[in-house]
Amino acid sequence: MTRENTGALDAAKVLNVVGLTKSYGGLKAVDDVSFEVFEGEILALVGDNGAGKSTLVKALAGAQPPDGGRIEIDGVLHQLNSPRDASEAGIGCLHQGLGLVDTLNVPENVFLGRELLTRLLLVIPQLDHRKMRERTIELLDGFGISLPRLNDPVIRLSGGQRQTVAISRLLLQDVRLVVMDEPMAALGVEEGRRVLELVRTMRDRGISIIIISHNLEHVFQLADRITIMKNGRLIGVVSSAATTRDEVVRLITFGAAT
Amino acid sequence: MTSNANPEPGIGHADRRWLFEGIGLTAVIVALAILFILINPRFGTITNFINILTQASFIIVMAVGMTFVITSAGIDLSVGSAVAFITVVAFGLIKGGLNPLLGVAFMFALGAFLGFLTGSLVAYVKIPPFITTLGMMAGLRGLALVHSAGEMHFGLPTSVTYVGQGVLGGVPVPVIISLAAAVFGAWLFNRTRFGLHVRAIGGNREAARLAGVPVNRVEVMVYVLMGLFTALGGLIMMARIDSTQATIGTAMEIHVISAVIIGGTSLFGGRGSVYGSVMGALLLAMMTNALIIAGVDFFWQLVVMGGIVLIAVAISNLREQRIPALAHFMRREPPGGAESESARRPAQKQGGTLS
Repeated sequence: MTRENTGALDAAKVLNVVGLTKSYGGLKAVDDVSFEVFEGEILALVGDNGAGKSTLVKALAGAQPPDGGRIEIDGVLHQLNSPRDASEAGIGCLHQGLGLVDTLNVPENVFLGRELLTRLLLVIPQLDHRKMRERTIELLDGFGISLPRLNDPVIRLSGGQRQTVAISRLLLQDVRLVVMDEPMAALGVEEGRRVLELVRTMRDRGISIIIISHNLEHVFQLADRITIMKNGRLIGVVSSAATTRDEVVRLITFGAAT
Repeated sequence: MTSNANPEPGIGHADRRWLFEGIGLTAVIVALAILFILINPRFGTITNFINILTQASFIIVMAVGMTFVITSAGIDLSVGSAVAFITVVAFGLIKGGLNPLLGVAFMFALGAFLGFLTGSLVAYVKIPPFITTLGMMAGLRGLALVHSAGEMHFGLPTSVTYVGQGVLGGVPVPVIISLAAAVFGAWLFNRTRFGLHVRAIGGNREAARLAGVPVNRVEVMVYVLMGLFTALGGLIMMARIDSTQATIGTAMEIHVISAVIIGGTSLFGGRGSVYGSVMGALLLAMMTNALIIAGVDFFWQLVVMGGIVLIAVAISNLREQRIPALAHFMRREPPGGAESESARRPAQKQGGTLS
């Protein structure tokens, strides 16, 4: 296993994964994987289809608990048995489907599951649509983003706009770590560039990010370090500044450094 | 993404767009009313309009509940049978000397319990709503028949019949109750956490679950609410005619579901309109009334109603662009034009190519 943890070592360790294992039947989808993510770091996770990236992400998201291994956040051991556990531990996940409800509008999506309430006639709890709307605009303003038509169902928004809504959702939760599964997939060039900027802005605010991408160009533009998975095993962690794209492709394909 | 094409923040209501659809339906109703009056002036009397509202009252009440069920991507076929079962049991108890107020309370408790049963089967045993409520529909009708086969109950205390026959300030009590139920339902649907959660699980159950919505509990609550509205509808019905029997409410689910679908609530779940459901129920009642006045046979009334439902769903599908051949003509371009059409579906995994 090649390890070159250059640069990031002084920062605090936000996530520490030790010996994570998950099998489906006889197949070890994730096999004894250990790695760490530091504060304000963007860590890319690459590997061919079936390398175990998605299984690893699901374990971190609390969607599929692992069979073995430890997940520590800020030095505290966490059992992530449900999405709620993960969220409470400070892990936010951006799934491929983004986890948005197409038929709800922007503030409703941003606040779903953590709605702001007001009281009707001082007693009866009801949704505070106005405050949720204002907070949504604040969140978006913080990133210099303005979405037209906040009251439309999000299915009417473009791919990049939907990304923004999903990311706003995460920011509301005071996350320590965001896991993004192919955030730039199916986006146009300009929209992809904007999401890239958004990811950097999040990092600049001290949020650590794990990003899964098939697009090595994006990986090299964003990531501080790149971890490479193959057949369920973590076969290398390289600093993106100290490696080349060819080298990473070689690791992904053949699993061996030259 | 920072498109400032329309920076106007847009004020107010969460589902204004669906309200507009309700207004479209309102316009249809007004136009039809004018047409009916032109054909037959007898249709246009105040008495007749109050008649229509009264006749629609219990359908309105149940359609409000059904709006939640269908918006949650469910369906309840058992409402007619539930009305029969709840009313024959309650009627028997009240006739047997039970305090009328307790009898009415019992109806609501029974309705809530039946809803709880249905909801639990749907949410926890994972039986599809269609099948669950199909079973409930047969089972409850059977129980109603077992309880009072062939028997016809008459003679409720006036305190109960007031709910169906009373008049308050010139307005029939059932009309007042149904309007109150509609206002409450609209508030619950649009302005409460529960309503938001119902719309969320109907729109994308998995996303709602990941967001922390207690999807199973909400689903059970939806059917409990339907049960309560069913009990209220049954109460109005039974009080209005001061009688009930085991065959009451046969095919009522068709009316209730039709009203909701005509009102623009999507059968696919996720979006709906309580206001639309009320308007749908009114449209159906008005059509029936006009056909009666025109002397059209009851059997033909059913045919007309079936036609209206099919047309309403067809229009709704056109609007939602679910018919591929016609979607091209109906499409409202999303911002960003054709390019973002594919971008709207980021869920689709890209091929396994690297770099």
